[in-house]
Amino acid sequence: MSTRAHIMLAILVAMAILVIVRLVRRRHLKAKYSLLWLTLGGFMVVIAAVPGLLDWTAARLGIYYQPTLLILLGLALLLLIVMHFSYELSRMENRVRTLAEESAILRHRLRVLEQGAPATTPGDASGGAEESDDWPGDEPTNGSGVTDQA
Amino acid sequence: MPATDPSPRTRTEFADRIIVIVPAFNEQEALPSTLAGLRATALPLDVVVIDDGSTDDTAAIATANGAVCLQLPFNLGIGGALRTGFRYAVELGYQRGIQFDADGQHDPSQIEALLAPLAEGADMVVGSRFAGAGDYRVGRSRGVAMNILRWAIRRLAGQRFTDTSSGFRSFGPDVLALFAAEYPIEYMDSVEALVMACRAGFDVREVPTVMHERTGGVASNRSFRLAYHYVRVLVSLANTPKAQRRPAGAPS
Repeated sequence: MSTRAHIMLAILVAMAILVIVRLVRRRHLKAKYSLLWLTLGGFMVVIAAVPGLLDWTAARLGIYYQPTLLILLGLALLLLIVMHFSYELSRMENRVRTLAEESAILRHRLRVLEQGAPATTPGDASGGAEESDDWPGDEPTNGSGVTDQA
Repeated sequence: MPATDPSPRTRTEFADRIIVIVPAFNEQEALPSTLAGLRATALPLDVVVIDDGSTDDTAAIATANGAVCLQLPFNLGIGGALRTGFRYAVELGYQRGIQFDADGQHDPSQIEALLAPLAEGADMVVGSRFAGAGDYRVGRSRGVAMNILRWAIRRLAGQRFTDTSSGFRSFGPDVLALFAAEYPIEYMDSVEALVMACRAGFDVREVPTVMHERTGGVASNRSFRLAYHYVRVLVSLANTPKAQRRPAGAPS
């Protein structure tokens, strides 16, 4: 690469790193995600700072057009970052689902508590009463409302 | 279960009752007759409707018809709704559960047949439309797709099922616990759940049941969506973990 290209690359990378650090400081970006991007930035800094490095590495790997190596490595790192995002996204979706499910159950329990003992089930002879009045804090309806703690 | 657990999951009041888990998304038309049908049986059923983020009066109608209603804050899809029901069942200590459609295609009179194998040691029972009873018909392309799935499932589950997508099922306590912890969340969940239970080493059986035409709502069978889920489910099935850990106390 020409000297001019190296200077341009160095400036771009410096700007990118500045932006990342700024985002982290303002808490728009979590530190753990910034690490990934800073790794990418650091890697670019090394390439920009050591002029002969890219050419030398490309020659050793048998790559005749040096920028290919840059693109290849950049792409590999980006792929890693995107995969990490997919992983995080799956985990977050799982947590959101679990929270939604818990909230549905808790909402029902809260309603039962607010309404006092046997509630929410008008006109159901086949068991609605039992299912709604037996949350903790309610009086057991059938003398033997045993709580098995053993 | 830990002795220090203060949660209601150690309670025994619900052990002899049967929880009927009814996932419902905008089912206000069909729900009253479905719930009336369930009320009319002589079985000790506790009906729990899971309102999966409906925009109509599903929740109010469920409550007015004597069911417990668990309201999800937004639509999770049928798998999420079912898992909510399984969680609730396990928290309260139910030992037997039924999965029942809100749209009226399942017949409450068949529940006894679905429960019978549980008493004989089965962990999960699937009500089949094709195993001999009833007169339910599906279209040809759907039939072919179902055949391929059936083959894949036979390979993975090590067992033959005639109706893998049936949502009319009964569960014993161990399968309830399994599904409360982990249940396939996307469309065609029933197929994945079936394979999950088989591969976890549970005794899964099938009984012939009569089913009706749907009485309300829209069947989820738009073809491109179906095709996508079909491929997805095949990939997902191939990756179902084979965990040979039967719960304590169960014969292998």
